[in-house]
Amino acid sequence: MEPVLLRARGAADSRAITTYLKAGGYEGWKKALAMGPDAVTKEVSDSELRGRGGAGFPTGRKWSFVPKDHPGPRYLVCNADESEPGTFKDREIIEYDPHQVIEGIAIASFAIKANTAYIYIRGEFVRWARILEETITEARQHGFLGKNVLGSGFDLDVWVHRGAGAYICGEETALLESIEGKRGFPRLKPPFPAVVGLFGKPTVINNVETLACVPHIITRGAAWFAGIGRAKNTGPKLFGVSGHVNRPGVYELPLGVTFREIIEEHAGGVRGGRKLKAFFPGGSSAPVLTAAEVDVKADFDACAEAKTMLGSGGIIVFDDSVDMVEVADNVAHFYAHESCGQCTPCREGSDWCMDILDRLMAGHGLPADPDTLLRICRFASGGMTICPLGDAFALPITSLVTKFRDEFERHIAAATPLPPRKLPVLPWAGPKAGFGI
Amino acid sequence: MPKLTIDGHEVEVAAGTNLIEAARAAGVAIPYFCYHPYLAVVGQCRICMVEVAGQPRLALGCATPAADGMVVKVEDSERAREAREAVMEFLLANHPLDCPVCDQAGECLLQDHSMSEQGSKFTTHMAETRRTFPGYERRLIGPHVVQNQNRCIHCSRCIRFTREISETAALTYKSRGNSTFIDTFDGSSFDDPMSGCATDVCPVGALTLRETRFRKRAWKLRSTPSVCPGCSIGCNIFIDHHERVVYRFTPRENPAINATWLCDHGRFLAESLNEQAYLTPQHQGPGHPVPAAWGEALAAVGALLRGAASLRVVASANMSNEELFLARELFGRQLKGEIAVPVAAGEPRRMKNGRGEWLLAKDAHPNAAGARRLGLDTVDGEGLSRFLYGGAGLTLILDPEAHPFLASPEALRLLRVGTTVVWARRSHPVADGATWLLPTPSIASNEGTFTSSTGAVQRFAEAFAAPGTVHRTATGGMSPDCPTIASPWGAPGEARPLWLVLSALARELGTKTLDLASPAEVFTLMARSEKGFAGLVWEALGGLAPQQSFRERQHVG
Amino acid sequence: MSTRPIEAAPPRTVQTVTFDATMDARIAELRQRYPTSRAALLPVLWLCQERYGWISPGVIRAVAERLGESPAFVEGVVTFYTMYQTAPPARYVLQVCTTLSCAWTGARELVAHLKERLGIGFGETTPDGTFQLVGVQCLGACGRAPVIQINDDYYEDLDVARLDAILDELSGRR
Ligand SMILES: Cc1cc2nc3c(=O)[nH]c(=O)nc-3n(C[C@H](O)[C@H](O)[C@H](O)COP(=O)(O)O)c2cc1C
Ligand code: SF4
Ligand code: SF4
Ligand code: SF4
Ligand code: FES
Ligand code: FES
Repeated sequence: MEPVLLRARGAADSRAITTYLKAGGYEGWKKALAMGPDAVTKEVSDSELRGRGGAGFPTGRKWSFVPKDHPGPRYLVCNADESEPGTFKDREIIEYDPHQVIEGIAIASFAIKANTAYIYIRGEFVRWARILEETITEARQHGFLGKNVLGSGFDLDVWVHRGAGAYICGEETALLESIEGKRGFPRLKPPFPAVVGLFGKPTVINNVETLACVPHIITRGAAWFAGIGRAKNTGPKLFGVSGHVNRPGVYELPLGVTFREIIEEHAGGVRGGRKLKAFFPGGSSAPVLTAAEVDVKADFDACAEAKTMLGSGGIIVFDDSVDMVEVADNVAHFYAHESCGQCTPCREGSDWCMDILDRLMAGHGLPADPDTLLRICRFASGGMTICPLGDAFALPITSLVTKFRDEFERHIAAATPLPPRKLPVLPWAGPKAGFGI
Repeated sequence: MPKLTIDGHEVEVAAGTNLIEAARAAGVAIPYFCYHPYLAVVGQCRICMVEVAGQPRLALGCATPAADGMVVKVEDSERAREAREAVMEFLLANHPLDCPVCDQAGECLLQDHSMSEQGSKFTTHMAETRRTFPGYERRLIGPHVVQNQNRCIHCSRCIRFTREISETAALTYKSRGNSTFIDTFDGSSFDDPMSGCATDVCPVGALTLRETRFRKRAWKLRSTPSVCPGCSIGCNIFIDHHERVVYRFTPRENPAINATWLCDHGRFLAESLNEQAYLTPQHQGPGHPVPAAWGEALAAVGALLRGAASLRVVASANMSNEELFLARELFGRQLKGEIAVPVAAGEPRRMKNGRGEWLLAKDAHPNAAGARRLGLDTVDGEGLSRFLYGGAGLTLILDPEAHPFLASPEALRLLRVGTTVVWARRSHPVADGATWLLPTPSIASNEGTFTSSTGAVQRFAEAFAAPGTVHRTATGGMSPDCPTIASPWGAPGEARPLWLVLSALARELGTKTLDLASPAEVFTLMARSEKGFAGLVWEALGGLAPQQSFRERQHVG
Repeated sequence: MSTRPIEAAPPRTVQTVTFDATMDARIAELRQRYPTSRAALLPVLWLCQERYGWISPGVIRAVAERLGESPAFVEGVVTFYTMYQTAPPARYVLQVCTTLSCAWTGARELVAHLKERLGIGFGETTPDGTFQLVGVQCLGACGRAPVIQINDDYYEDLDVARLDAILDELSGRR
């Protein structure tokens, strides 16, 4: 497949607007302005583009949920939080061809009649936030953003909003709270952001890669896009491959290639001549697949059939030297660290899982541990929590315990009893208090 | 009006009612921790999960509005019960379970709910060390509130209270995930003017009150519906008491006035109700007071009234409507005396009602509106000093705490000229110098109505008969630094509520129409003759039964 | 690439904070990007961290007052996000990714080496205040694991030798 989103990667001055314009950049934006919002939304719907942020929700449908008759402002938000372990694709787009994102934001804002858009980028991405700022300035100088864009009467401001170190702000409603200046607590839904979103106004949140697809759909047409991949799983997709492979990196491939092709052909196979043991197909929130499942197709529906998720398309590969209990422990550490702490099952459950797995790794496993883990995960997922972070730690840990239970049992068989607990002697750290308290 | 079925009970509720409230109406209990009827719904604790027919996922009782035709299963759903049990296990996994030394025990939602689930096969799978917050186990975070972060279940009610109700936003979550804890800014003092409410909304023993903790186990307390005597707003309260000692005020729900809130000023008046300086009637002997029996006292005061050349009466906006009415009828209409009701503005106080509107206190008394409605002359300090000036006749002071002016040297000088009869409870210079002194009990041993500044006529009930022994802590306050109450009260004392003494005086003076047996009778008479009270019926001045109002404390006992 | 060192304001200089004209102007500019003043909180905190090196209680009070929030609210936000420093940081904050892809492709060796070379553990600072070691979660650069972020900059595809060279350069420039 000829590269679409990554076509500029490796070219000289690939980020510059001149380079972008030479490659036909901002033609989609001009065309969209001529088409009108409804036609743009229809084109995107027809392309069957599905969200690249994790959930794979049809993008055109999401745009159409914005109430047509809503007075007052609406907002478009570009999700550049890119925090899911194993995911590093949006950064690639921003590094090499960021004008695609700005053009996508412009078209999407126009489609939902939003005059303000925010790009929420994770705090660690200082360099890429700066690149986006520069890109916005360039686009504005060329009249693609700002007041009365290209004489169309449409106004659009785009602002970069930096996060400050919280994975959960990738979740769309936590992200909105974070833009509003609050702790990144996911919101209770309904209402959904398309109706009550940023500052209480209708809001569409789309991933960087999703938005980067949009200009191409508008210039080349929905049929072209839908011709890539397979039905309902259309278009090019960025796969980030990391871990034990010879050529880790971002690969742009049509949806529906097999994980075997991605890992073995594109990423050069498992490194050091070792064998594949398992891999996360779409970030660490997706249930793990084993070497035996490597022929699953890398698209939304095939992954769902295999009881996992394409997620963000971040593939983390483990060779046969890896202890899957340790993987589970690492995963638990991540989510316990990133749980916002609002709701009981996730706050308590993620930490509890981490404690159990730490103990297992320390050589003090108990026979009940695998079942306790499964129980905790069962009651932290499937709607038990406010946001899907509960599922995000529960599903991979469940999959690790069920698919690699023998490894857990081996740890437990070799376990030594927990040394007796020393009661901590705590200094009285409170303020000098009166008698009786 | 959606009609729905909850565990087989049909119920019809107002549109917008959530499933917790709908179930309550249907007699089914959905457990909850983070939900509070006057705070924003956040759906954080996840204990209120129920099954709604036709929905693949469990629904939140707090965040799901009742809809027509809905079929809800609470106890009847195995799935929902399992989910709630799991949430309980999660919550208890890190809970210290120190109920025996926790002051919340007996009125703790966590404890109540784990007790109500006793029948289930509930157990914990926890083998890890419990989370603790060293240094945060018992910390005074403000003038009144003690924090034990280990017990916190992260329901955020206290935070929402300070953001949505008191509007100080003084409490916040800090850190995140399992390390989240509650704190003030940089450890500064939590001096919210309504800080006590944070301990009310806290469902567990994470926030408790310095003044009341460890004074009395919650299940020993009896609650009597009453009205806060602190200002003219008239917040509805329960007087929580045991063996004729008042331990605390807790809010009683009234959407029109105080929702479920109290200000700290009003709340901490509770302890002052225990003061009773004067125990029997007494008259001024040669240089020292001489105790007397009530019969003797009434006869003597009756004689003074009959023989008085002139009569001035200082009434009080702390008196009930019934007492003000009796005083007006007897001393004003019958005996042609002059009556003034001093009113002090006091500190500015405010209270948020159930619609989120601030009510502002006009006066520092609970019944200034009642005095005005009865057509009595209200005066300020200056007016009072003019009123007291130059009278050599008989002066009645029905309540020395009617105005701060009465404690001033000037007032004492003015009063020395004539004869004074004073009704008093707490030690007061005016009372000490009175010709006759008649002891009155606190509002806890009285019964009657106050008219709030918004115009609501509100009843307060008698908690117990007047106490008979002096109780005061060393500093006169309920401070933990002081020795606690030593022993229960003895036999009822001699102090008598003012209305009773006024109707006895009416009998003494032969005014049959005012010789009435209860405040209810006085009220009925007043409602017949007074425009401002027309149509009101004593029994219908409702809201007095505890079970009629939102009250999660006192589930047990 | 040369990473700029952090110059953290000594605590007593930021006990109480008054914004100068430059800060005022930048805050006003940030403020007009949003319909509410609260929404400017994260960017304003970033601005303060650039200026003072960390977010002291005095900074929190000043920010709260400027944006019309309670200091407790602002502190709640500051402590939610891991990147706001609530104590003066070292000149170079070594943020080592410890998540999956990095952990299994060399991060463990880097951490062991750092602990030995610097003589400090996670959360600690070298006695001379040059380096601070922090374990962080996935930095979104897993294709070039293992990764360490030093102050604002990413250092990728690391091994012990390269890391040593980087540390030599950074500490030599003192
Ligand atoms: C815990 C969690 C973390 C998420 N992190 C990200 C993220 O880092 N980047 C992203 O684009 N979407 C993330 N998402 C998905 C977003 O919530 C949202 O679905 C997505 O941005 C929508 O964009 P799309 O429709 O273009 O995919 C996350 C979701 C969850 C539940
Ligand atoms: S599931 Fe976890 S991250 Fe999501 S809202 Fe609940 S506690 Fe926060
Ligand atoms: S202190 Fe009490 S009210 Fe506040 S969050 Fe904790 S449990 Fe809830
Ligand atoms: S506002 Fe007035 S009536 Fe209400 S609690 Fe305070 S003092 Fe009492
Ligand atoms: S009461 Fe419903 S989630 Fe807490
Ligand atoms: S795992 Fe280290 S950057 Fe992603």
